[in-house]
Amino acid sequence: MEDFVKELPVWVLWVAKVAIIFGGLVATAALMSLAERKVSAWMQYRHGPNRVGPFGLLQPLADGIKFIFKEELIPAGANKFLFRLAPALAAIPAMMTIAVIPIGTIQIGETKIPFSIAQVDLGIMYMLALGGLSVYGAILGGWASNSKYSLLGGLRASAQMISYELTLILSILVVVALSGSLDLGAIVEAQRVNGLWNVFTPFGALAFVLFTIASFAETNRHPFDFAECEPELVGGFHTEYSAMRFALFFLGEYCAMTVMACLNTTLFFGGPSVPFWANAPWYVGILAFLIKAGFFLFLFIWVRWTLPRFRFDQLMRLGWKVALPIALANLLVVGAWVAFSTKGS
Amino acid sequence: MSSILFYILALVALLGAAGVILAKSPMGSVISLLGTFFALAVIYLLAGFQFLAAAQILVYAGAILVLFLFVIMLLNLGAMGSRFELSFAPLQGGRARLAGAIAVALALVGLIAAQRTTLAATPATAPDAKAIDGLEGIALELFGRYSLPFQAVSVLLLATMVAVIVLAKRQRAGEHGEEPR
Amino acid sequence: MVVVQRKELTLAERLYLPEVLRGLSLTFRKFFEKPITRQYPEQPLPTDEVTRGQPRLVVKDDGNIACVSCGMCEIACPAYAITIDGGETDRMIEREPKKFEIDMLRCILCGFCEEACPKDAIFMSNELELADYTRAGLVYDIEKLKRPKSALQKRIDYVYRLNNRWRSKQ
Repeated sequence: MEDFVKELPVWVLWVAKVAIIFGGLVATAALMSLAERKVSAWMQYRHGPNRVGPFGLLQPLADGIKFIFKEELIPAGANKFLFRLAPALAAIPAMMTIAVIPIGTIQIGETKIPFSIAQVDLGIMYMLALGGLSVYGAILGGWASNSKYSLLGGLRASAQMISYELTLILSILVVVALSGSLDLGAIVEAQRVNGLWNVFTPFGALAFVLFTIASFAETNRHPFDFAECEPELVGGFHTEYSAMRFALFFLGEYCAMTVMACLNTTLFFGGPSVPFWANAPWYVGILAFLIKAGFFLFLFIWVRWTLPRFRFDQLMRLGWKVALPIALANLLVVGAWVAFSTKGS
Repeated sequence: MSSILFYILALVALLGAAGVILAKSPMGSVISLLGTFFALAVIYLLAGFQFLAAAQILVYAGAILVLFLFVIMLLNLGAMGSRFELSFAPLQGGRARLAGAIAVALALVGLIAAQRTTLAATPATAPDAKAIDGLEGIALELFGRYSLPFQAVSVLLLATMVAVIVLAKRQRAGEHGEEPR
Repeated sequence: MVVVQRKELTLAERLYLPEVLRGLSLTFRKFFEKPITRQYPEQPLPTDEVTRGQPRLVVKDDGNIACVSCGMCEIACPAYAITIDGGETDRMIEREPKKFEIDMLRCILCGFCEEACPKDAIFMSNELELADYTRAGLVYDIEKLKRPKSALQKRIDYVYRLNNRWRSKQ
């Protein structure tokens, strides 16, 4: 087995990893659409979808078939080019960001293969750069639809995402300062070497709370889902979308959530490391990663069915007057602490 | 291979830049600018400057252009129509020609300057591409050699921000005849 | 004028995060509780003799329906859902319906036909489901309306009980 893997051309491994990880991401996104409905149902004494397949497990498949066969509408006066481009812009950056997440290490015999599509020195920069682009889908889709609800949804999405991106980046920078690297793999390694997940350090805990709040805002999730606030804006920026284009927005949202959950796991919960079991086999590590990421995905749904939606001015106040100053102060203190502690040693 | 890619990207960047001027609607301009930024980022990547490429996308495409879009949507600068349309009006007239001439002259000066510095740079003084590419290299340059300009630019930005807030607040107070909250 | 007294929020409430956690714990507890939804097609609502479902024609033990096509139910029907064409028959009752149709799309399940019937021929069953792909398919003819007496026995007994009580109070 080991020799066989060693003799494989490099590109075979790449293709396999890309297929597994992207396939896993899309499958997770599809299952999340089911999980969302199931969990919400269970929290409200209901059963949830249970007609298609055992326990409704084939529901995403049925939804997908429905989306493909539905009629695609383009509203009159819409900008056709941007209208068609926007769903792709919403889905593709969200899916591409998974590439740098270190899910673990596959070990066959003595050969170790990092289980991530790319190991980039500037992994976090890459994620932030692409993550920042996902807002274009909402803005352009909202604008190109030639509808007031879509426009307002797009406006809110852009304002909200710019506001919370600052908090998000600043709380990530705390982790970067603690670990001394922009490489996600190195951040995981630093946590393993310290024997302490970042969330259990005082600064890390604060950064974790801020990051989680900001990630809810960045992915347009409850309680910050103003871009698609149903009671006011019909469907928000995707009011005018139907069929597969709408499904792409959906897919983009769930992929972004999945990536955020993975990022949260990597930055604050030691990625694939297992507590109190330093020499855990590689598959336990990957399993640990999936469990941790799964918990954060559950958290996204859990919060959605618990909290009511904020008001937009409350959102902005929270973002600019509470979260951002705290994140800045946190980064400042961490910077000073790191600077002085390294100088002393 | 990489030089072919470079020329294609350069063409995309130039077409995008032309689109910024020629697009009839401001939205078209912004989309063209987005294309230009992307082409530039990939050119940086080709040259081996990963950090610069990521920063280019993060800052320009991810933040500044989104703000542009925000403003355009808020101001509602006319409908875009159902597809891109170009208008060559900005290229006509005396002022346009003057501006064009100045721009070309500046570009020439820049080109010549770039050519001369690369030729004149000896290995001792030329910044090591590898060192600069890394985060530490950039940080050292930014907070070491260029610390003063960096701080100056920061202060300038801060001053601009304060000025804009003051102006906006004063206008609103005048409009409604009451103190802004 | 109503003066709303705003409750002074405690520090924990104003910080919001503790309250978020409280809410999360509540929904998490509910997560494990048993669903109260009725799984309809598998678990239909319980029906009994009081249920006034769709009207059905009773098939007597000899295999014939009791209807003599007198037309009382047709007249009583407030929704004009019943159409009867009578004809002669060699049986003792001499008349029987050649056509007896109930348009189930018009029927309002009021039970007037059941009350009007002098021959105990039509009763309200406990059948409530009504679905078809065409409107014509929901106009039930005799064959579709026939039900054996045993299936309707509980309702028949109930109606008799009801009527006896009413008579005894006269």
